[in-house]
Amino acid sequence: MTEIDDKTVEYILTVQTWFEDLKQVAAQLAGLLVLEAAGAVADHPMRLSAERVYQSAVDGLRSARVPARARRHHDHLLAASGKLGDALSTKGDPLVFLESAYRELRSASRSLPGFQMISFEHGCCA
Amino acid sequence: MKNNYSVWVAEFANVPKYPLSGLIYGAHNQGHARLPYCYVVIKGQGHVAMVDVGYNHKEYGAVLADRYGARDWHSPHEVLAECGVTPGDVSRVFLTHAHFDHMGNMEDFPKATFYIQERELSKWVWAMSLERRFRWIMGGIDPADIMRTVDLARQGRLVSVEGDREDVMPGIDLHAAPDTHTWGSMYVRLRNDLAANSTNTWIFAGDLVYMQENLRGYTPEDPEYIPVGFAMGSQFNLVMMTEELVKGVDGDINRVIAIHEDRLKDWFPSRVTPSGVRVTELVLADGETSRVG
Repeated sequence: MTEIDDKTVEYILTVQTWFEDLKQVAAQLAGLLVLEAAGAVADHPMRLSAERVYQSAVDGLRSARVPARARRHHDHLLAASGKLGDALSTKGDPLVFLESAYRELRSASRSLPGFQMISFEHGCCA
Repeated sequence: MKNNYSVWVAEFANVPKYPLSGLIYGAHNQGHARLPYCYVVIKGQGHVAMVDVGYNHKEYGAVLADRYGARDWHSPHEVLAECGVTPGDVSRVFLTHAHFDHMGNMEDFPKATFYIQERELSKWVWAMSLERRFRWIMGGIDPADIMRTVDLARQGRLVSVEGDREDVMPGIDLHAAPDTHTWGSMYVRLRNDLAANSTNTWIFAGDLVYMQENLRGYTPEDPEYIPVGFAMGSQFNLVMMTEELVKGVDGDINRVIAIHEDRLKDWFPSRVTPSGVRVTELVLADGETSRVG
């Protein structure tokens, strides 16, 4: 990975929270699908939580100052948020949108340092 | 002694130096041990089953290598070939818990039905609903695995097990270990003579046990249970569960199989291929050909 300039570092530090938020939304929606597959009711409090976190992340991403070095990263996050919005809107199979959103998040995590898809500490690799 | 199943422990990656404190509770500043990543292959009764499936190298191999020194990853196709089977032959997978290094590679087993404790799934889903400041609880969990679980459930390839379940295959029982290493951990008990009161049992412990020291302490002549380093539940529950494991094999702790125990290769017949795949043969079914001879 090439050296990171100050503006990109500032971007990374700012956007990390929203990246984490989008991951959480994806995880929550996936969790809801697990419950649904198990026959649980769709109107779950976690859905409200996901919608709230999602809106906060989208607002943050739209207001971010994006240096040239981070443009691709930001595009991935915007694409991920779009797919998560589709998943929340229930206008198709949410799993398809979720998987697509997750691919975008994963691409984002690879394009700049400081964005981790999972915490490895609890598995056998701490 | 009648053996109806062959069992191999297959190593698919390793970490050369892993802190002992992660493996044995309280072993701070006591150095390191080689940590193999393995899964268990069980063949017999017309089936191939596995205990856990390892991690998804495509997604995490580079990170694990860079950050923790994990190396020598081999695909299930390559590893299982050393046991004479293919991933497509695997019909059942018993997931001991939902950490990424145990269930992350589900997509490589296209015909398998996966068994996991209902409590493991439901508690992780609950954890996902918590605020960000609780994110430590979600460590080790990959949301992508949850998505794959949804897909499996829709295909009818996910069995959510509540508590213990006997004879998921002839002679193979699943046992819940709630609030231990994770909320809904599970271990697998094999009765290789298929008898209800078996005298030929094996236990595949998942991460309830990392090393034999967890089963007998540092002085085998005066054994004590020392839990593993990580518990989402409690170390107390792990200690009490260890008693259940040891009783489940009539006290023969060599039959409680810890897949992260590097010394299995010293205690059972084993071989390493030129490409670095290690296969350890715990037992051969009557008439089965050895894969390590």
